[in-house]
Amino acid sequence: MEYKIEDIESVFNAEVFQKLGNSEYLVKINDNERNLKILTMSSKGLEFVLDQKYHNVKYLDNTTSQMKIVVDGIPFTLNMHQNLNEIVYKNSGEEAGGDSQISLRSQIPGKVIKISVSEGSEVKKDDSICVLESMKMQVSVKSHKDGIVKKIKIKEGTTVAKNDVIAEIE
Amino acid sequence: MIEKVLIANRGEIALRVIKTCKALGIKTVAVYSDEDYTSLHVKHATEAYHIGEAAPAKSYLNQQKILDVMLSSGSDAVHPGYGFLSENDDFARLCEKNKINFIGPSADSMNLCGDKMECKAAMLKAKVPTVPGSPDLVKDVDEALDIANNIGYPVLLKSVYGGGGRGIRLVNNDKELKEGFETVTSESIAAVGKSAIIVEKFLEKTRHIEYQMCRDKHGNAVHIFERECSIQRRNQKLIEQTPSPVVDEETRERIGELVVKAAHAVDYTNLGTAEFLRADNGEFYFIEINARLQVEHPISEMVSGLDFVKLQIDIANGEPIPFKQEDLKMNGYAIECRINAEDTFLDFAPSTGPIPDVTIPAGPSVRCDTYLYPGCTVSPYYDSLMAKLCTWGKTFEESRLRMLNALNDFYIEGVETSIPLYKTILKTDEYKNGELSTDFLKRYGILDRLKEDIKKDKEQNKEAALAAAIIHSEYYKSRIKSNPEIDRHWKNKLGSS
Repeated sequence: MEYKIEDIESVFNAEVFQKLGNSEYLVKINDNERNLKILTMSSKGLEFVLDQKYHNVKYLDNTTSQMKIVVDGIPFTLNMHQNLNEIVYKNSGEEAGGDSQISLRSQIPGKVIKISVSEGSEVKKDDSICVLESMKMQVSVKSHKDGIVKKIKIKEGTTVAKNDVIAEIE
Repeated sequence: MIEKVLIANRGEIALRVIKTCKALGIKTVAVYSDEDYTSLHVKHATEAYHIGEAAPAKSYLNQQKILDVMLSSGSDAVHPGYGFLSENDDFARLCEKNKINFIGPSADSMNLCGDKMECKAAMLKAKVPTVPGSPDLVKDVDEALDIANNIGYPVLLKSVYGGGGRGIRLVNNDKELKEGFETVTSESIAAVGKSAIIVEKFLEKTRHIEYQMCRDKHGNAVHIFERECSIQRRNQKLIEQTPSPVVDEETRERIGELVVKAAHAVDYTNLGTAEFLRADNGEFYFIEINARLQVEHPISEMVSGLDFVKLQIDIANGEPIPFKQEDLKMNGYAIECRINAEDTFLDFAPSTGPIPDVTIPAGPSVRCDTYLYPGCTVSPYYDSLMAKLCTWGKTFEESRLRMLNALNDFYIEGVETSIPLYKTILKTDEYKNGELSTDFLKRYGILDRLKEDIKKDKEQNKEAALAAAIIHSEYYKSRIKSNPEIDRHWKNKLGSS
């Protein structure tokens, strides 16, 4: 299986090479053989010894193609696929179009204190769309592009969660 | 004599106060909101009373409700902690009227300290130097513009009722000033229900250095050394240390004498903090008095050997300070890192939610004041400080290395934290050399260096991550179950090797 680790350039090939016992494996990472002994294992986490080094891993969030884990306190996002190179290429192509994105999402949870625009308003990039209050701080959510506010998805006085759509700007 | 203390606060500071009270045989009364039923301060206090809804205005800021609990529980004193009602002179006065011993300054002194203009005037009278700015409250945005253009940008807009970095904005031009004026006003109104703004010259490359002051009801006053709190974001402190790398024995004494003068000038009683800006040329300017126990008090406890909450209670009991200035000796070096629930890369936006797992660091001269436990929740209703991690060392380097180890050992699952940021800061040469300033993060491009460090960490742990990923896939393929026998076998083997 091929893996791409977020923040690291290269693509890795990793697989279980041989099962040595009920909880002992020989794994192969980019052609390097490593001895892996499982100490404890559950759906939430894994403790193991890789060669001579102990590791504690938490599994946070998994889909069939992406895995969020914490290794010895360090968070990792791994993407996996049989032919990963293609996928990575495709994804980055799609994401490049930041300007074509319509929905403005909230990056933080908070209470809507003030909405600074109305539907139909013309806005410029970085104009304040609304003000949120979270942990006693007021933070303004700014437009991600120039455009016209098509729809406002929030109301003053209500709360929004992280990633909720604030407004649609075209 | 104080026998039963109500703690009008929550989180780590409520726990901190409970600890000393327990050691002194004083009963404790906790209060809690809807959001804090399962919080640690509720579990550790002698008694606990529910006081209302999650929003602070409906619970921890509800003076009447808290007073009712004090009276019905038979509390003879109240400790306000920091934040919430700690610097509210109306509350202090309400306690005084009801014969509740308020552990802190008198309502009158607090009122004076809280009024930044009057306090500044009192300091000028006592010959304590202050920062250039508006002589009085500014009436409106036009007057603010005038003064700003007069003393020159950049300037700070400050709500005189703000504190702890809220109700304060740095503005660089007329446009920013107009915007800032509005937000500072509304933040201040949201927090304390009123607003009044002053304009102050913003000094470049300044250090934030503050002094612990202590004065008893008999008029004896001492300072308990300085703390340097220059590493900040959005004018809120992140890392504090004592001693300051730029305060030598002569300066410590010279500014310390000013601090004692300041305490007399406002008739301060109990523990408080006199905050100064130190300009790059070495001049100190008084900025304000924090009329409460400071968040970062543990580092001063570490180098002085004192228990500040005990000292507060003794002074509230009317006892004289049990030592003289010359008895105090500064011993070693202490550092505090404020472990916040926030996303460094999202402009330090709050990160809240359940904490399924946490590992609290420990070790020689490591102290961690925290409300965290596995299964607790970081609430969006209150501030983002989850823990105060402090280390002490005989030398600064020993303290720094202990802090790095402790930060490595600190594991908090469920929210983003400021821990990775602190690891990066503590490893920089600028920090090691004491080249601190309030714009440290920006000046030295710390966030970019943090990104590099995160990459390096991942690079080092990538094989383990990949191994964990393939084992996970294997688990779902062949449904290997964890075998307790094998677990024990390997644990024993590892333990004996």
